[in-house]
Amino acid sequence: MNSVKKLLKARESGSLLFLVLLILLVGFINPSFWQPASLLGCLNDSVVFTLLAVGIAFVILTGEIDVSIGATLGMSAAVGATILRDGGSVVVAVLVALLIGAVIGFINGFGVSVLQVPSLIFTLGVNGVVRGLIYVYTGGAWVENLPATYTRASNVKLIGELTVFYAATFVFVLIANYIVTKTRRGKYFTAVGDNISGATLVGIPTTATKVSAYVICGILAAAAGMVYTSRIGFITPTAGNNYEMKAIAACVLGGVALTGGQGSLFGAAIGAIIMSSISRILVFLGFSSDYDNTITGIMLIVIVVVTTVAQNRSIIKNRHEILMARTNKSGENKKGETV
Amino acid sequence: MSLTVQETNKKDLLSVSGITKRFGLNVVLKGIDLSVAQGEVLTLIGGNGAGKSTLMKIIMGIYQPDQGEMYIDGEKITSFKPSVSLQKGIYMVPQEPMLFPNMSVEENILIGFTEPRAELHNRLVKIIEEIGWKLDLTRKALSLSIAEQQLVELLRGMMRNAKVLILDEPTSALTFDEVESLFKIVEDLKNKGIGIIYITHRMGEVFTIGTHVAIMRDGIITLRGPIGDFTRDMLVKGLLPPNMDDVEKKESEEFTIDYENLEPVFKLENYSGYGFENINLEVYPGEILGVAGLVGAGRTELATTIFGREKVLSGKAYLMGKDVTGVSTREAIAAGINYVPEDRRLNGLFGMSSVAANTTSSLLFNVAMGKVFLNRKKEKEITQKYIEDFRTKVTGQEQSCGSLSGGNQQKVVIGRCLSSLPKLVILDEPTRGIDAAARGDVYSIILELRKQGVAVMLISSDMEEIIELSDRAVVMFQGHMTRELKKNEIDQNTLMNASFDVKEEKED
Amino acid sequence: MGKSFLEKAKKFFKSWEFVLLLILIGEIVIFATKNPKFLMPRVLFGSLNDIISICIISLFVTFVMITGGIDIQAGSIVGLSSIVLGVAWQDAGINIWVAVLLAIFVAAICGAISGYFVAYCGVQPMVVTLGGSFLFSGIALLVSNLSSTASYKGISGFPESFLQLSKFRLFGVLPAQVIIFLVLAVIAYILLNRTKYGRMIFLVGVNKDAAEYSGINVKFITMTTYILSGISAAIAGIILTSYLGTAKSDIGMTFTLPIITAVVLGGTLSTGGKGTVVGTALAAIVIGVLKFGLPLCFKVPQQYLDIPVGMLLLVVVIGRSLLTNPKVIALLHKEDKK
Repeated sequence: MNSVKKLLKARESGSLLFLVLLILLVGFINPSFWQPASLLGCLNDSVVFTLLAVGIAFVILTGEIDVSIGATLGMSAAVGATILRDGGSVVVAVLVALLIGAVIGFINGFGVSVLQVPSLIFTLGVNGVVRGLIYVYTGGAWVENLPATYTRASNVKLIGELTVFYAATFVFVLIANYIVTKTRRGKYFTAVGDNISGATLVGIPTTATKVSAYVICGILAAAAGMVYTSRIGFITPTAGNNYEMKAIAACVLGGVALTGGQGSLFGAAIGAIIMSSISRILVFLGFSSDYDNTITGIMLIVIVVVTTVAQNRSIIKNRHEILMARTNKSGENKKGETV
Repeated sequence: MSLTVQETNKKDLLSVSGITKRFGLNVVLKGIDLSVAQGEVLTLIGGNGAGKSTLMKIIMGIYQPDQGEMYIDGEKITSFKPSVSLQKGIYMVPQEPMLFPNMSVEENILIGFTEPRAELHNRLVKIIEEIGWKLDLTRKALSLSIAEQQLVELLRGMMRNAKVLILDEPTSALTFDEVESLFKIVEDLKNKGIGIIYITHRMGEVFTIGTHVAIMRDGIITLRGPIGDFTRDMLVKGLLPPNMDDVEKKESEEFTIDYENLEPVFKLENYSGYGFENINLEVYPGEILGVAGLVGAGRTELATTIFGREKVLSGKAYLMGKDVTGVSTREAIAAGINYVPEDRRLNGLFGMSSVAANTTSSLLFNVAMGKVFLNRKKEKEITQKYIEDFRTKVTGQEQSCGSLSGGNQQKVVIGRCLSSLPKLVILDEPTRGIDAAARGDVYSIILELRKQGVAVMLISSDMEEIIELSDRAVVMFQGHMTRELKKNEIDQNTLMNASFDVKEEKED
Repeated sequence: MGKSFLEKAKKFFKSWEFVLLLILIGEIVIFATKNPKFLMPRVLFGSLNDIISICIISLFVTFVMITGGIDIQAGSIVGLSSIVLGVAWQDAGINIWVAVLLAIFVAAICGAISGYFVAYCGVQPMVVTLGGSFLFSGIALLVSNLSSTASYKGISGFPESFLQLSKFRLFGVLPAQVIIFLVLAVIAYILLNRTKYGRMIFLVGVNKDAAEYSGINVKFITMTTYILSGISAAIAGIILTSYLGTAKSDIGMTFTLPIITAVVLGGTLSTGGKGTVVGTALAAIVIGVLKFGLPLCFKVPQQYLDIPVGMLLLVVVIGRSLLTNPKVIALLHKEDKK
């Protein structure tokens, strides 16, 4: 029984531990990695993926998936960047971008929870449409010549090497994590993914919960798009291509189970840091960054296989224990006593 | 009579009238009237597909009725939503507890409440103390036994100050001890003035804890009233379709088995596995061995272990003298064992597949069905044979099994099991949830098997079934074989006593 | 005999494949009226050239999805087999056809690895193949680094016999790669509908537990479907290498979504148990013709083509889910009565 508890508790703390060990290990091989600049650099680099991963974590917690966030990022970034380029205010640009994210998220949520289309397929279709719309909107051209004030924003430091963007993202993750784990409505996301029929039975509005998860996911993808715009400084029509896969991978690395109901936003944020630090770490270890995907793939597969096998084992063990308890004579039946 | 007068004075906590509901073209409820008052335990009986669970889902606000009214505590319900039903004080403990496996017990109970956390916690602890249960609130739900999960569900209902509790077959997965303590809780709740709808399949429970009874069949209530007005026989009648002659006893031509001179087909020696221990038994050719006991006594686990689904912990199994201990399912089928699973939908049927694909599914690794290419002619032949032999009602071999009635589905599953020409057939609750006519057909199939000299193990919780069919019976209790009964010893009382492990045999 | 033929015909007219066929004919008619050049056999068959890899892979991803799984790694295996082929031929000096076999073998191993984790360890197929897509594309990049040619350039200069794989035209019109696709489609069809193996794939997809109780080796069957889809990805990679004349490690990167689109559009249930090779093949061709015809006849820019394909997918899945909704069924029936 204890092993089950431990294992489950280990979900995101395991990822955190992994990250710490990784930092220690890399530092032992190349001590310059331990310098604040490179450590904080890892954090600063992770802003886009953290926002994407935390956003999609909402959806994954409810037991669904969203493969359209890369396109959502690209679309909202393209529109936001165009407004900036044409001299619009930052506030308008960001608001419009977030609105686009919210609309795409709502469409996804509507299709998945109201129309009951399997989420992978529905968001796959939306992904195609939005990708195409990016070309229609931009005419296939890059959105360039953005105001320097905006492109510089991502480099503004708060303390030392820590950027304002990361600090803000970090605070946001803490708040969101608190809401999802501690507040009544926040817990609905996990509950819906954990057992949707059970959630219906205790009066949780499952449809609304799923739709709002998608809307939040879309908004965060749009926010990631605006951060991306600031960091990169221009938007190509393929911006954000395949980012959905990386965000999903970050969630898995952070202990968010794709079956829903398990894991936390905090875990997703850690996964995003691991994910986006790999290339930097490779450089410090003296490898080419060409190893990036290979390492990501191996890490992903090892982590999921190990946790799944351990979890399945403990479920079977648990079932066997219950069955064995039944064969004992009633007097010795421990389970009977607790009842 | 005085009881009835008294009852009418009590306030109805919940009443529904004229409820109808259809799904697509299928009318599931055809005008249901039902009510529960304070301190009443309304036991609701009915076969699978009678519409009980649909009705409960309407009461819980999960489905909307097409017609009909519902009153909770005298107040008319206009919008059917789970949140409304919950808020008005109705709570359902589903048959399979629907907890959030990855949340703690406390989180599971308190989810959805608006009050401050600490206050809720205190109230919860108080309730638990009041009733005298021991339950670790920090445990994850997935580590709880079924009984404990049901406790959590009950606590949820009590935390919500439920006025009406619906218990859907709460004892179906419980051990005997657990059943007893559940009954105590129900009694407590009843005394507190809570109205309870208690859904069950077990006639005995109706008289043990019910104050009222209602019987549902094919979407209508065939009978309802205070428990004192009815006898067991009347209830059984209510369950049977009208104009059905009482299930006639099958030709009980004396069919004696020459135990002295026959070698058993199948033999277990000190056979132990998860859920059962030290089983010794023999099954002879042309014999129907009844395996009686309560749900959870380890019978299904015994069968699935023989069939290679679970690990054998110790002991031996022999088929025709050959050691078949710990074989895989494929090897078991090849050796001549086949099994009709207890849960047809989960383990038996390929719902989307055709009747033909279902019938031949356990023959696929046999060369008779072709080496690489599927022998369609052979498949047609075999399927046709079983459709005709069993009088299965199908539009054709290509009809998908999901669209068949329960009885016909079961015939298909039995056909699949027999198509491998087994020497030992294990039937696990072969007539659960099928109508009386199909039940008769299944009985004929079983008797025909006996004629052909096949050894049959018949696992059934229906005592009458065991009595009617078995040549010999064994009874299991909490994973152990407690009795072995000869044909003339098998009767309701003996079976019942052995199932509950009552040692002294009192003949009333 | 006549009756059963009639029944079969009736069944076909009610089937999803028939709808796809109508869509395809509709596409061709519209494109042909707009631009008669479209009907020239050379053009018509050529329209499939760009999408042939997706056609081939989706045939076998159908197998995976029928068992209830999903495969999003096939795209990365395309790149891996292409670069393995290239490096083995150019840098290791292996005979080109031996290199082809080597590429197929490597792809089969990749499929087996993922299939093993899905089937024997019970890991979600989506996660395993997501990991696989990173891993195999990563390995492909590393393999390309083994080559003396810079990876972004790609390896070219293949022998003529290998290039014939895509250049050859039967009767001067039918491209070799279309022939390969048709042959694979027939093989897939026979495998799925005529063999015991195919029957087991369906049974596993309909109900895994019942399949176990029927003595079917569910785990092994599940694993083999991933191997098959890996092999098909290799074949697609080889043909694509021949067609482009260049071996590169990232040529399949964008294939994942179109493959799944083709399979789902073809009528395969994402929950498993149901699907047809003919449906997938038709759906892949419908997408291919659409992507070829719109730019040719309506001057729609290439990059916009994700929109009609995405819309097609959305309309189909929404329609399908509405039609299976009991409420809608009841509503339709009511109107029937009136």
